[in-house]
Amino acid sequence: MPPSSSLRGVTQLLRETVQPSFACRRLGEVQQTAYLSTSAPRFASVPKKKGLTAAPKKGTKTLNVKKGRKQSGGDTGKKPAVGERKAMRKAVVLSNNNALEVSSLKNLDNENVLDAEIAGKVYGIPDDAIDALRAVDAFKPKQGWKLFRRPAVVVRKEAMQLAQLIKEVESGSEGAKKTVRRIITGERMSGKSTLVLQGLLMAHLRNWVVINLPEAQDLVNAHTEYAPLQGSQPMQYTQDTYTANLLSQILKANKQIADLPVTKEHSLPQPLPPKATLRSLIDIGVATPESSWSVFAALWEELTQPGRPPIMFAIDGLAHIMRNSEYLSADVKPIHAFDLTIVRQFVDYLSGAKSLPNGGIIFAATSGSNSPTVDALNFSLQCAAARQFAPEKMPRWNPYTNLDMRVMEALKDVDTLPLKGLTKEEARALMEYYAESGMLRAKVDDGLVGERWALAGMGNIGELERTTVRMRV
Amino acid sequence: MVFIFGFHFDDQRLVKASLETFYGIGPKVSQRIMARHYIHPWAKVGSLKNNTLMNLTADLTSMKIENDLRREVQENIRRLKDMGAYRGRRHAMGLPVRGQNTRTQIATARRLNKIERGGSGRVQM
Repeated sequence: MPPSSSLRGVTQLLRETVQPSFACRRLGEVQQTAYLSTSAPRFASVPKKKGLTAAPKKGTKTLNVKKGRKQSGGDTGKKPAVGERKAMRKAVVLSNNNALEVSSLKNLDNENVLDAEIAGKVYGIPDDAIDALRAVDAFKPKQGWKLFRRPAVVVRKEAMQLAQLIKEVESGSEGAKKTVRRIITGERMSGKSTLVLQGLLMAHLRNWVVINLPEAQDLVNAHTEYAPLQGSQPMQYTQDTYTANLLSQILKANKQIADLPVTKEHSLPQPLPPKATLRSLIDIGVATPESSWSVFAALWEELTQPGRPPIMFAIDGLAHIMRNSEYLSADVKPIHAFDLTIVRQFVDYLSGAKSLPNGGIIFAATSGSNSPTVDALNFSLQCAAARQFAPEKMPRWNPYTNLDMRVMEALKDVDTLPLKGLTKEEARALMEYYAESGMLRAKVDDGLVGERWALAGMGNIGELERTTVRMRV
Repeated sequence: MVFIFGFHFDDQRLVKASLETFYGIGPKVSQRIMARHYIHPWAKVGSLKNNTLMNLTADLTSMKIENDLRREVQENIRRLKDMGAYRGRRHAMGLPVRGQNTRTQIATARRLNKIERGGSGRVQM
């Protein structure tokens, strides 16, 4: 190809390639309809994904850790209803349909409950007693009742001591009945609350009047209403809602006293109907919480009339009522727990300042897991233990601790009921019961009992339950 | 709905929190008021008896709270400003009053130091 023709060819080519672009540009200014093109969707802004935001600008704060801020697309689950979670937390489950029925399990009843032969064996709780114990909140949610077909207790050595005390009270002659006062002490999970339950159970089976303050903390943590008691000197305070609830519990748990007649005149805010029974008396207190304390006092007076049954009065978590409560007096000073009427009623009998004419047991349990440090209580318990077991080794008061003299005075001669571990025989009976319930899948022999008994810190019953039925390896 | 001191509160609200909505009542004062009327710290407004509510409102009426207290504070500041005091000027300028440095960190002063301190309240002054 000659060079001139080749040059011409190049210019021709150039003209062809350049001109259409000019044309296009000019056309673009006037063109109304778009040609087929894929660029529009390709370059369109991408729709934002939920939860993703643009990168923050320089200098803005990005870390946002505040709780409770609403997040888009966050949790849409249903919120629990008011009180639902608390009800769940406080629920007491007393049976397990998956556990086996123990055919050899006998029930405790009115006759055998004080026998010596029940010692060291496991016994079931009869149904009406279960209802009564449930009514007085003697079962606690964290105890192991939900593991077995129905509630049962091992009758340990200390329970037999308690049965002995009940016998002593019952055998007292009319007019000289004994009032037994005991404080249960022991390690954490050694079965103190369960022993209170057993005490209430025995008393209920023996047709005693059963009154239980299930959690001392509830009395003093200022979560219920309070009001000054008119005419009291020094000032005392009533807890009307709590007392009304206590009265309804007493009525539910002690059906045998409901139809007893009211024998004395009482000054109540509301008049009693003619031929009133204790049920109608209690009903007034339940219906009108303002009058609940005067009703309780009247009920107590009725129960201490001659011929009425003995009383079992128990409390759990004693340390809470041995110090100032969370309530405040009108001049913004803390109210001592002893100035609350229910607590005072209990402490008067625990200290021995008053005694029950028909006899009875005043029973207090300390708590291993929920108890404030009260120096006066600890020192009094040490003294009591020394008085009972080693009188030559009385502890000395540490002058650098702050001792509450009211507490010291109240506890100066009260006895303790120290709770040790189970014996190996008791542990064996209990483990056989576990195995028969199908909750322990092992052959219960001396080797296993010895091993688990030792693992449980020499038979601490709570630890034993933990190492045998709760723990899954 | 319960009325305390002319304002209504939800039944489920704590008495303590309700009292502390008033200008001039904080944790200490609410504790004192509640102790005086034997109201426990976790009481809900709905659980108060009519008698207690009336006494409570009477008690609050006798106290210097809300607009009375706002007015007093504002008058104190205005007095400083009117007599031409340095503190009054600083209040008017929204700057720290007590000799703090002002190069940085005066957000609190900017927020609070003003003649109309405390705002105009839930009921207009």
